[in-house]
Amino acid sequence: MVKIEDLKRINLLKDFPNYLLEIIAKEAQLSIFGTDTQLFEADEDVHIFYMLIMGQVALTVKLTSDIDVILDYVQSGSSFCSSALIKGVKAPYSAVCQEPCEVITLSGKSMIPLFKENHELAYHMMFGVAKQYKKHLDTRAQMIMKTLDEHPEFKEDINDIENLTLVI
Amino acid sequence: MVEKDELKKIFFLKDLPDTTLGKVGAIAQLETFDEESILFRQDQEQTLLYMLVSGKVFLNCRSASGKSLTLDEVSAGRTFGVSALMGESSGTFTAICAETSSIITVSGKQMRRLFEEDFEIGYALMLKVVELFKSRMEMHTRQFLHSLANHPEIKQFQ
Repeated sequence: MVKIEDLKRINLLKDFPNYLLEIIAKEAQLSIFGTDTQLFEADEDVHIFYMLIMGQVALTVKLTSDIDVILDYVQSGSSFCSSALIKGVKAPYSAVCQEPCEVITLSGKSMIPLFKENHELAYHMMFGVAKQYKKHLDTRAQMIMKTLDEHPEFKEDINDIENLTLVI
Repeated sequence: MVEKDELKKIFFLKDLPDTTLGKVGAIAQLETFDEESILFRQDQEQTLLYMLVSGKVFLNCRSASGKSLTLDEVSAGRTFGVSALMGESSGTFTAICAETSSIITVSGKQMRRLFEEDFEIGYALMLKVVELFKSRMEMHTRQFLHSLANHPEIKQFQ
């Protein structure tokens, strides 16, 4: 159980009506993790959706046995591992706390059955997650455009740019 | 008004029950656009969701220095202009018809209103959007990591 005021600090939930936040609050847990805590590892089955109230989390993938690549730093108010809200998926990255973190967690095992009972809650959660993905994909497209602007010769090497245009 | 048979040609809508397709059809329009028609421009207000029934559409992006690049060629059955569906005010790309195209258009605002009248449908379609975006994001990350792993400066560490 967490306070509704804490849930309102999360970007994805800030426009949710209170009656939906009350449902989420009953399912949510507030946890504190120390620096360097690994929340989950890439390719693990994921069951927890994380919403960061305070702190910073790095999302990383292993490039080689010696090199990890940081895909993103998650800041306060942001959320990650939305895969846990979709049935049967694996983590696409590892998540490691960069500093002490205060995190609200939601179990996918509780939320997915709840989505089947409460379609309004399910719709609002998926709408928020879709907006998050779109924002990330738009940012990547802009980064690629900037790179291509400076190095047009790279265009032939980028064979998946159409994946960023959000055609569905 | 657009008939269900036309809507069933659209990948995004094809699994919907007939009753829902009827509701979408009631707020949709089927229009024909000539070659070189600009449907919407990058960074300008975009209110419609576009579903291509036939023809071809280019999605272009203009960089900060003004260079234009075609990022995607949209083929029949696909939907674009999702900024309108997400309630965002401006488009990320410019959409231009590469040939005469038959396109179903739906107001993003009306589509969201429909979702809010029937959350079950809203959830089903938003889940579909999330799964598609997620798969794109992961595919792109894999491609990025593959390119990075093959970069000469990285290879020297291996």
